[in-house]
Amino acid sequence: MWGVAAGAVGALALWRLHALGSGRNPDVVTGGWLLLSVLALALYGARRRLRVLPLGPASAWLALHVIGGVACVGLYLVHAGLAWPSGAADQALAALFLVVFVSGTVGHLLQALLPIRLTRAGDEIIYERIPAEIARLRAQAESTIVEAASACGHDTLGTYYAQSLAWYFDRPRFTLQHVLGTAAAQAWEARKLAAVERLLDPRERASLAGLAHLCRAKRAVDVQYALQTLLRRWTYLHAPAAAAFLVMAAWHSMAAFVYSR
Amino acid sequence: MAPGGRPAAIVGRLARWDVPFGADMSDAIVDALLERPEIAAIRADRFPAGVPLRGILRNDARIVTLSPGEIAVREGDYGNSAFLILDGDLRVVLPPGLPRETLGRQTPRNAGWLATLARALRPSPKFPETRDVGAAAGAAATAADRDPRALTFLQDIPAILDRHRSVRLGAGEIFGEIAALGRVPRSATVFAETPSRLLEIRWQGLRELRRHDPGWRRMIDERYRRNALLNHLQAHAFFASLDDATLASVAAAVRFRTYGDADWHLQHRRGRDAPPAGADHAADPIDDEAVIAGEGGPADSVYLIRSGFARVSCIVGGGRRTVTYLGVGAQFGLAEAHTAWRAGGEVRLSQTLSAIGQVDVLRVPFRVLAEHVFPGLREVPPPYATQRRYEDDAFVDWLIDERWINGTQTMLIDLDRCVRCDDCVTACAATHDGNPRFVRHGPVSDHWMVANACMHCQDPVCMIGCPTGAIHRHELGGVVVINDDTCIGCGTCAASCPYDNIRMVEIADRSGTPVVDEAGKAVRKATKCDLCVGQPGGPACVRACPQDALRRTGGQALLLHGVEGVRR
Repeated sequence: MWGVAAGAVGALALWRLHALGSGRNPDVVTGGWLLLSVLALALYGARRRLRVLPLGPASAWLALHVIGGVACVGLYLVHAGLAWPSGAADQALAALFLVVFVSGTVGHLLQALLPIRLTRAGDEIIYERIPAEIARLRAQAESTIVEAASACGHDTLGTYYAQSLAWYFDRPRFTLQHVLGTAAAQAWEARKLAAVERLLDPRERASLAGLAHLCRAKRAVDVQYALQTLLRRWTYLHAPAAAAFLVMAAWHSMAAFVYSR
Repeated sequence: MAPGGRPAAIVGRLARWDVPFGADMSDAIVDALLERPEIAAIRADRFPAGVPLRGILRNDARIVTLSPGEIAVREGDYGNSAFLILDGDLRVVLPPGLPRETLGRQTPRNAGWLATLARALRPSPKFPETRDVGAAAGAAATAADRDPRALTFLQDIPAILDRHRSVRLGAGEIFGEIAALGRVPRSATVFAETPSRLLEIRWQGLRELRRHDPGWRRMIDERYRRNALLNHLQAHAFFASLDDATLASVAAAVRFRTYGDADWHLQHRRGRDAPPAGADHAADPIDDEAVIAGEGGPADSVYLIRSGFARVSCIVGGGRRTVTYLGVGAQFGLAEAHTAWRAGGEVRLSQTLSAIGQVDVLRVPFRVLAEHVFPGLREVPPPYATQRRYEDDAFVDWLIDERWINGTQTMLIDLDRCVRCDDCVTACAATHDGNPRFVRHGPVSDHWMVANACMHCQDPVCMIGCPTGAIHRHELGGVVVINDDTCIGCGTCAASCPYDNIRMVEIADRSGTPVVDEAGKAVRKATKCDLCVGQPGGPACVRACPQDALRRTGGQALLLHGVEGVRR
């Protein structure tokens, strides 16, 4: 398929040269092919919504979407060249095309890389269950604190939890750091846990070990949250930009058609 | 603490007779049964103290009364019990059997393109698990307030007897034991011709009767030999060339035996839910498996798997290595026995055959093989062997230990490719009125996840005990499906599924109002993956995966080709 796409783009480029040599304006034809191709790419979104219909495997559609997307870059270059356009509308159109292409490329890369990181991180969890899982861990941490306080008769651990760990167990934390793959969360946990250890009696230290275990579990959930969020949200840029590009491209085509007559 | 630091839980085992089969069985009824000639002939002193004959009758049996036309067992259903006729006459319908509609089954039909398009365009119901009230009302009963047998009546018996060939069964005869002991579908429909009273014995009790009473063992074995063994033997290539008389003499010498834990699915499920307390280092499951034929033992028989699964393993270093697993129709020991026959000396088995869960085995003695089979045998399959590297054993052991081998349509997800978009789940929901029929979550080995989706097992233990036959194999490909209209929501299938792949849901009408029965209890239905049966294009989950990360595959294919091989 890659070869077919490259051949088609190459053929259109050769035709454009031939048309220019024979004094004809090729832009309507090259622009038309570009618009048709982008419309075809948009069908992938429609396929994802028509799940019940036997329209072939979505993986084949995605493969065509990716190949078609790269081919559209070639078509765009054949149509518009490398020069940055001068008019405001054309600049907006070019910028949208760039955003769609770059976001699509980045998204494709993320889809190739992040699943492997998610698998290696372990503790697989369904995205929608993450808030409930964090709430469960928080409840477990708070119950550990209450048990320690009632067993020891003082609330050192409770005060420490309210000052430091409550923030951590409140919601997903260190999202960017987890996306970047740094050990910031691990370092933060180690620093916070070590800071209070000297203030605790042996029984509280056992509870602190329990809290450390819960921190590790929370970190694993946070990693899942960070990576799964990114896997889901990159399309929040790609899809609206693509829709906006389609609208502007249609308007651009009509304007070009009208003014070319 | 269990591995991973989770708090450990202590798992108790279910006691055998915690839940009697029939709630109405009394000492008086048991006394009356003990007077009957079929029961009186049983020597009670042969039974162990823990499983007395009285206890079996009291807890593993129940009295069933049938009116004329009432179906006792239905062809194609999976059953867990056999029947001894106490009074009355019944009829066994001979092939081709009764029409599907007469038996209360749905007719399979593939949805057309237009219907599929209409479904795609129709908005999903606003509320989960909604049903048409009329259909729901017909089934609005809980297990508690309905006869658990909930059988079907046949109308116009004379016409049925006129149109279909049948055989009469009278008092003292037994039927249903093959399906009960072999976990195979009922081979024929049996219905009452006159008012009848039956003693229904669940297979656990039947197993004990067969084990401890030579008379019952002989009777059941003879019935098995007469009805099913010849067909089973003929299915094997090395018996195929034998004439009927020779095959009959082979069948007469075959020994039939059951190995392993009959309640494996319940124990397996409990084991998965809560790992054993204090298990820092999990025991090797192979060590717990009942040995059918041990490595180093004499190669004096061929073992044929009649139902269930068995593991072939051999000693490597200080442990035992899984070579492969065998399913229904496979043989073990043929190569070694043939070598012994050719060499004229004693040959020892180089591998062990052990039961995975419960397995029924036919043992063909060497004497019979030497006389009837080996002289005409041209090709002898070699002993089982593996070319796997040791590190690849982990995956095979996982397949077997977790019983994934039981699946024929296991949902396997490559987590290294899955982008967690849940398109598979939404596609499933879109195909089932907005209700997904699986959970994209489950046990993981390396980067492979077996999701909580019905695996459409080879040995579907979920079907055992369904009182209405609502859960059954569909004619289109034999996938396991649930007839929503006849499901009474008893939850037997969900409790039996070792993989937790059946969910009980409370249903609502189209306006979202919960449906309850007369007692105010919510009406529940069993739900699970139906493999989009009847939908054009196959399972929507597979088609919807944009990364080609999701596969439906069987255990045998996984073992033969590995997961990487199954991918394409």
